[in-house]
Amino acid sequence: MTSAYDLAIVGGGIMGCSTALRLAENNMKTIVLDQGDLGQGASGVNAGTLSLQIKRVKLMPYALKGHREWEAMGEAVGFKKTGGYTLAFTEHEAELLHERQALKANAGAPIKFVSNNALRAAEQNLSHKILAASYCSEDGYANSSLTGQYYRVRLKQNEVEYREQCCVTLITRNNSCFELITTLGNIQAKRLLLSAGAWLKPIAAYLGVDLPVRARINTVSVTERMPHLLSSIVGHATGLLTIKQKTNGTILIGGGWQGRGTPEEGRGNVSANTLLPNLSLAQHVLPELANARVTRSWVGFEANVPDFYPLAGALPGIDNAFVLGCVRGGYTIGPYIGRLMGDFILGQEPELPLFDPGREFNEV
Amino acid sequence: MMRLIPNHTSQIKRAKEISFRFDGQTIKAHQGETILVALMGNGIKHLRDAPVDVKPRGAFCCIGLCQECVVKVDGQLVESCRKIATDGLVVQSLRQ
Amino acid sequence: MIKTCDVAIIGAGPAGANAGIMAASQGCRTIIIDEQAKAGGQIWRAKSAAIKSAPNTPETIDGDRLRASIDASNVTHIANARVWQIERELEKWVLRLIINGRSEKIVSKVLILATGAREYVQPTPGWTLPGVIGLAGATALIKQDLVIPGKKIVVSGTGPLIFYVASEIRRLGGEVSAIVTPNSPVDWMYAIPSMFSRPELLWRGFVWVADLLLSGTPIFWRNVIKQIDGETKVQSVTVSKVNNDWSPLDQKRLIEADSVCIGYGLQAATETSQLSGIDLKHQPELGGWVPEVWENGETAIDGLFVCGDGTGIRGAAAAEIHGKLVGLSAAEIITSNVNFPRSALLTSFRRASRFGMAMTALSIPRKGLQKLTTDKTIMCRCESLRRCDIEHQMEAGAATINAIKSGSRAGMGPCGGKYCQTAIAKLIAEKEHRTEAEIIPPTPRPPLRPVPASELSGEFEYTDLPIPKPAPL
Repeated sequence: MTSAYDLAIVGGGIMGCSTALRLAENNMKTIVLDQGDLGQGASGVNAGTLSLQIKRVKLMPYALKGHREWEAMGEAVGFKKTGGYTLAFTEHEAELLHERQALKANAGAPIKFVSNNALRAAEQNLSHKILAASYCSEDGYANSSLTGQYYRVRLKQNEVEYREQCCVTLITRNNSCFELITTLGNIQAKRLLLSAGAWLKPIAAYLGVDLPVRARINTVSVTERMPHLLSSIVGHATGLLTIKQKTNGTILIGGGWQGRGTPEEGRGNVSANTLLPNLSLAQHVLPELANARVTRSWVGFEANVPDFYPLAGALPGIDNAFVLGCVRGGYTIGPYIGRLMGDFILGQEPELPLFDPGREFNEV
Repeated sequence: MMRLIPNHTSQIKRAKEISFRFDGQTIKAHQGETILVALMGNGIKHLRDAPVDVKPRGAFCCIGLCQECVVKVDGQLVESCRKIATDGLVVQSLRQ
Repeated sequence: MIKTCDVAIIGAGPAGANAGIMAASQGCRTIIIDEQAKAGGQIWRAKSAAIKSAPNTPETIDGDRLRASIDASNVTHIANARVWQIERELEKWVLRLIINGRSEKIVSKVLILATGAREYVQPTPGWTLPGVIGLAGATALIKQDLVIPGKKIVVSGTGPLIFYVASEIRRLGGEVSAIVTPNSPVDWMYAIPSMFSRPELLWRGFVWVADLLLSGTPIFWRNVIKQIDGETKVQSVTVSKVNNDWSPLDQKRLIEADSVCIGYGLQAATETSQLSGIDLKHQPELGGWVPEVWENGETAIDGLFVCGDGTGIRGAAAAEIHGKLVGLSAAEIITSNVNFPRSALLTSFRRASRFGMAMTALSIPRKGLQKLTTDKTIMCRCESLRRCDIEHQMEAGAATINAIKSGSRAGMGPCGGKYCQTAIAKLIAEKEHRTEAEIIPPTPRPPLRPVPASELSGEFEYTDLPIPKPAPL
């Protein structure tokens, strides 16, 4: 058995891995544990959209910083800054678009409203039924499938240990040390970070902490390779659609339509009841999609708490234990907020404030 | 030469001939055949070029699983091993 | 349109068709859904409409008998239909399918999966050339349209299928340039005792081989195709002797050919099982990964059964009997007065399985066959990924099929990994010194086949789309 780690991180997604990398800069002896493969949860199965137009107003400063992180990660994560359009088809949607995007622009996102002519000049294949559109030049995407492989390489480069297929089955505390019982043996650590996404609740329960974590079950679909149809990422005024065409020609369709299943059962399922309208909406926006064959649809669990703001800070009531997760827009913000979390664990003042996991949660 | 397995070719009666277009070429087929079978009968096996390495590909599983034999009909990719050739059909290969 | 029934069956091969006929005979409202135009599965695939008349074969006779039994039963057979999703909703099974370009829904109390097998082909240099097809693919062409894939054909692979295909090529007027098999005559000698239970098949096999020998067709025992040569089409194959574990040796021989039929045994097609939530287990003697199923077809999931080769490769005869057994088990969920003697069925199922499994044993690839896949050989056909691309992922730390898939796209193409995942699993097992049973298959994803978005959605009005309320600002 190795001696105690300075920090054990439960959950090897973007949050856990980016925190680990920040801590490695300060020579903290860290181990990252994941019940599956690194970056194979929400971090690896989301649609990869990096859009300021779908971020919460209060999280905009974090999202702007997040975009810088992704840009720096670059090709290794399939980063592309394409610009993005958000579309409205009805009067009601146009109102929603104007109201929401104006607030987001105020919060610092370079969002502007564009005319139909300008839109058509840029994207010829979009529907002709569009009533209003906004544009953000900062928007783009990365390839979420590459998350795991990216962090494996980065963790190795930075000499951070990680264990995959390592399920934590119990956490106890003795002599100011945490003992993690795992399927690959016991691990001792002086500090603990829980970053297990949709599985945060059962993990925190090992320490007697009840986190009000729930999961959304987001559906994503992809088509086979298609001729060039779209240059920018495209969304819908309600936020319930994202479309992007990858450089290989495949078209990715998301928007957070809800599948079925629970994290406890271990896997979620696509529900045709929501997949079909999701695909219809996508075809309404990009009519040429009708000809595309859908090759795969899947779901991922996106963790949230009732107020839909992050859990990022000290685990309430447990010294030296921390929690990071439930970040709305977690793919975009993850690499940045992980860095902030690292600062916090090191006892340094983070650049932007974190989100106290001990706060009162009000349902939105 | 002595054979235990008889040659049945002369006893096979096929449906009437039709024709369709494949990359501008007229292809004769028997009514009811798949596009793949008709193309194969005309000695055409190279149906598409693979992504990435752009190397020639053709039918492989012949039962609608592997997607190697896809061709374009009416703007839509179809499995040529399952799509029945009809008179006057316009079929495009995915060769580059 | 929504259809409801007591028992829905996916697959109208020997297993599915018999399960359906049996369930219907017990009074269950039964629907069989199948991809093909006519029932019969791969083994008894029916002739296409392009064939007006042709001499019968044992396969057409058995297939016609099966099709007549379906016609005479109360089974509703939905042909040309592709199931793309399976869901459990309010204690019922909900199947989503595409029929004639339209999206349909079937709701059933009981679901029987009878999706049969698919073929394993070890990636070999040149196997992506046009003119190289699977042995199973060759049987489909032969049975459905009575055509053969070329003029000078090399038939290669394991088990009995090579002799069937070669003999059918000769029956249809073709020339078999050579038969290449890593099996040895001794392998076959060992299998013969278990073949005595099916003397008619033993005799047929004898005639196939005798005819090939009489015709002077070379049979290269204990040989494999090491490479298929050609730039845009098949020109020749390079054949090499193998040792006991089927590792190719250095001696080589060149055979001229314009096409190749190749296959290394069958595996259970497990996608529907996985999508329905059944756990898999690895049973090499049954062809690899199979769903966890009891002998009567029952699974750990309510109202879900699997029958035939989809539970492991035991062959058509066993599948027919298994279908009957499972049809009865399924009917018991619907009606309390199922009255049918089962012990005789069980006995004949076990006997037929012994024959089928002896054939499977001959067909199972041995370890050395993996050496056919060289550094630059394409493993994932859809994405043109070579063995070195897969190994590159492993060197960067990916240790599971899912991780390799995410990092490289292997298995993300339109075939959904059906033709690469086993070869990749074998490669991981070899590199990591683990057994194949430790290499978990990738997560199943719908749709089960690529489906055009327009067919999924059908006609729709924008204003009718149930768009949920927007996310919080």
